[in-house]
Amino acid sequence: MKLEIKNLTKTFGGVRAIDDISLHFPSGSLSAVIGPNGAGKSTFFNLISGAFAADSGEVLLDGRNILRLSKTERMHRGIGRAFQVASCFPTMTVAENLMASVTAHLGRWGNLACRFPPPGVRERADTVMELVGLTQVANVRAAILSHGDQKLLDIAIALALEPKVLLLDEPTAGMGPEERWRMIERVRALWEQQKLTLVFIEHDMDIVFKVASTIRVLCYGRVLAEGTPDEIRSNPAVIEAYLGTEADAA
Amino acid sequence: MKGRPGLRDAAMAILALIVVLAIPLLHRSPAFEDFIIRLSAMALFATSLNLLVGNTGMVSFGHGLFYGLGAYAFALTMQMTDLPLPAAAVVAVLVTAFGALGVGAICVRLSTDYFAFITLAVQMLFYSIIISWQSLTGGDQGLRGGIPRREIFGFELASQLHLYQFCAVIAVFGLLALRHITASPFGQTLRMIRDNESRASFLGIVMWRARLIAFTIAGAFAGLGGVLAALFVSGAYPELADWPNSGQAIFAVMLGGINSFLGPVLGAMILLALNDVVTRFTEYHGLVLGMVILAFALGLRRGVLDFLRLAWPGHLK
Amino acid sequence: MDLDALGACLSTSACVVTQATSGLIVGMLLFLVAAGVTLIFGVLKVVNFAHGTFYMLGGYVAYSTLGLTDSYALAVVCGALATALGGVVFERALISRVYGSNVLMQLLICYAVVLIFDDLVKIIWGPEFHAMGMPSAFQVPPLYIAGGVVPPFYAVLVGIAALIALALSLGLAMTRLGKTVRAAAVNAQMVSALGVNTKLLFAIVFAIGGGLAGLAGALAAPVRSLSPGMGFSILIESFIVTVIGGMGSIAGALVAALMIGMVRGFGTIAFPGFTDGLIYLMMIAVLLLRPQGLFGRRL
Repeated sequence: MKLEIKNLTKTFGGVRAIDDISLHFPSGSLSAVIGPNGAGKSTFFNLISGAFAADSGEVLLDGRNILRLSKTERMHRGIGRAFQVASCFPTMTVAENLMASVTAHLGRWGNLACRFPPPGVRERADTVMELVGLTQVANVRAAILSHGDQKLLDIAIALALEPKVLLLDEPTAGMGPEERWRMIERVRALWEQQKLTLVFIEHDMDIVFKVASTIRVLCYGRVLAEGTPDEIRSNPAVIEAYLGTEADAA
Repeated sequence: MKGRPGLRDAAMAILALIVVLAIPLLHRSPAFEDFIIRLSAMALFATSLNLLVGNTGMVSFGHGLFYGLGAYAFALTMQMTDLPLPAAAVVAVLVTAFGALGVGAICVRLSTDYFAFITLAVQMLFYSIIISWQSLTGGDQGLRGGIPRREIFGFELASQLHLYQFCAVIAVFGLLALRHITASPFGQTLRMIRDNESRASFLGIVMWRARLIAFTIAGAFAGLGGVLAALFVSGAYPELADWPNSGQAIFAVMLGGINSFLGPVLGAMILLALNDVVTRFTEYHGLVLGMVILAFALGLRRGVLDFLRLAWPGHLK
Repeated sequence: MDLDALGACLSTSACVVTQATSGLIVGMLLFLVAAGVTLIFGVLKVVNFAHGTFYMLGGYVAYSTLGLTDSYALAVVCGALATALGGVVFERALISRVYGSNVLMQLLICYAVVLIFDDLVKIIWGPEFHAMGMPSAFQVPPLYIAGGVVPPFYAVLVGIAALIALALSLGLAMTRLGKTVRAAAVNAQMVSALGVNTKLLFAIVFAIGGGLAGLAGALAAPVRSLSPGMGFSILIESFIVTVIGGMGSIAGALVAALMIGMVRGFGTIAFPGFTDGLIYLMMIAVLLLRPQGLFGRRL
C-alpha cells in the first residue's frame, strides 16, 4: 500500500512543527526518516497515524485521503505504529498482550459472552509472536521483559493489527550496538515477509545506510533531502545540518 | 489445569455452595449464619467495586450509592407492589443499573482524581435525598414496615436458615457471573485500559463506552448486594448509602487484593470479622479500624491474596 | 418549593441583607476550607479527603482555648496554628509516603485519619454536641444595615476571611514562596531540580492548607455546633466548591464558595429542605457543561 504525504503542516502554539512536507513512500518500500532532534520526526508519525490532527495537507493511503479519519479508522485502513518508548500492557503476559490486541482488532473488545480469548485469536497471536521471535517469552509478564523484548512486543502489537504501512519510531532506541543490528535485521525480515511499506526513524547512521533503500531527511519540520543512501551521504546540506564532516566524526 | 477454565470456575462455585449449604445441616450456629448472610451482601458489593478499581483502574469512592439504591428499591418495591420477591429483586437490580448508567454517563469522562470524589459527591446527593424524602424513605430512621411476603418458592425467608441459604446461592451465582465478566474479552479490555490507556485507544477501544459499561455492571451487582442487605435488616437504612460504607468497601478490596478475583471477598470477610471483634471490646471501632488501615496502607501495601499469589506463583485463582 | 416567600424576601431590603450576610459567612468559611483543598491539590496532586478533620480540630481547639483563656482571638490563633502543625505532621508522616502512588492509597490514608480523629475527638471532648456560644467580646447589640440584622461577629468574620483571601492571592502572586508554590503546581520535579527544597515546600503547603481549614473551624465555632464527624459535610461542600471553581484556582474557590453561600442564604427560603440538593445539582451542571470548573485549566 503506498503512502503519500502532500503539503502536511502542523503548528503548535507559534511553532511550525511540520512545515509543508510532501513525501512519497512507494508500496513495499523500506525507508528511513532521519534528522536532528526536534526535526519533527515523531510528530510526523503522529500526524500520519492520527494521534494529532494536521492543520492542512493530505495523507493519501493508496490514493485515498485519510486525514479526516480518526486514529482508529486509520488503523483499520492499515496504518500501524510502534512507539519510541515501548507501549505495552505491563501486567499482562506477552501472549495476553497479543491476544488482547488481536481481539481489539477484530472488534470483539466488548464481548461479554465468551471467555477470553475468543476463538481464533490465540492462533493469530501465536503467529505474530513467532514473526517477531517472542515465542519463548510468551508467558512472561511484559513489565519484566528485557528492553529489547519490550520493543519487539511493541512492534508485535502493531503487527497484530495487520497493518499495510508500519511506522517504527526508533526501533533500536536504548539498545547496545549488537542488539541494534539484531533488531534491525528482524525488522528487515518482517518487512520482507509481510510485504509491508515500512518507514522507520533511526539515529544510528550505520544502520540507516545499510538497511534503508530510501532515506528522507527532516530538519526544522521540513524535508531537507531525500534519496538513496549514497545520495544522502554526499548531500552537502545534509552533511552540514546533520551528519557533520569526516573531521567532526573523528 | 488448562482445558475449560469456565467449567473449572463453575465447578469450584458449585463445590463452595455445597459446602456452605451443608454446614448448617451439620451444626447450627446463629452467629456464623448471620456472618455469612452479611458476608454475601458485602462480597457482592466489594467484588463489584473491584471491577472498577482493580480491573479498570477507576477508583470510585461512591459505590455505596448503588448498594443503598438496591436496598431501598427492593424494599420499596416489596412494600408498594404485590410483586413476588424474585421479581422485586430483579426490579431493584434494574433500577440500580439504570442509576449507574446515569451517574456513569456524567462521571466516566472525568480524570481519576476527580472521579473519586465526584462519585462520592453523587453518593452524598443520594444520601441527602434519602434523608430528606421522609414520606418515601422514612428519613434518617430508615424504611419502616419491614419487608412483607419474604418468601420464595415457598421458603419463608424470615427463617434465618432459609435466608442463609438464599443469600449463599445468590452470592455464589452473582460472583460466578462477575467472574465470567472479568474473564471475558471485555474484562481483558478493562485491564488494557487500566494498564495503558493510550495504547488501548490506539487499538480502537472506545474508552468512555467501556468504562460506562463497567460502571453500570458494577452498580448493578452492588445493587444485588443491597437487595441481600435489605433482606438482612428487613428494610433499608440510610447507613447503607453513607460514605463510610463506601470506605469500608474500598478497604475490603485493598485488604483482600485488587489483583485477585476473590480478593475482595476475602477482604470483606476479614473486615466484617474485624468489625465484629472490635465492637465487642470497644465503642471506638473507628479508631481501631483507622489504625489497621494505616498499618495496611503504609506497611503491607498489597492485599492478602495478592501477597499470597506472589509468594506462591502457579496458583491461578 | 416556595418561590413566593423568596419573592417576598427579595423585595424587602431587611430580608435581603440578613440572608445575604448569612450567605456571605457560609461562603467565606467555605472559601477558607476550599482554598486549602485546592492549594493542596494544585501543588501536590493529592485530593485531601481528610481536610474536614482539620476544620473539626480547629473548631474544637478553639473551643477549649476559649474555655481556658476566655480570649477568642487567642482561640482562633491556637486553632489555626494547631491545624497548621497537624497539616505538617500529616504530610510528613503519612502523605509523603504515598506521593505518586495510586489515588487509592492516598484515599485510604485520609479515610483512616478521618476515622481515627472522629473517635479521638469523641474520647477527648465527648460524643455530644458542644456549643461555643458567642464569645463575650462579641456579645454586643447587632448592627442594623438597611433594616437587616447583622451580628457584628459576622462582619468581623467576613472581614478576616476577606483579608486572608487577599493575603493569599497577593502572597501567591508576589512573594518568592508564592511563586515557588505556583511553579511547583505546574512542575514539581523541575522545581526540585532547580534546587528548591520540595520537602519543605510541600510541608508548607499542607501547613497553609490545614491552617486555613482550622481557621475556618475556629471562626465557625461561635455560630455552629461542634460534633465529631462535623468535618465531613464541609469536606463534601469544599469539594463541590473546587469542582465548580476549578481545582487549583484560588479565585475560582472564592467565586464558587460565594455562589454556594448565596444559594444557601436564599435557597433556604425558596427550597427549604432541599438546599443541599440544589448545590449538588449546580455541581452536576458544571460537570456536564464545563468540567474543568469556572476558572480551572482544561484537564
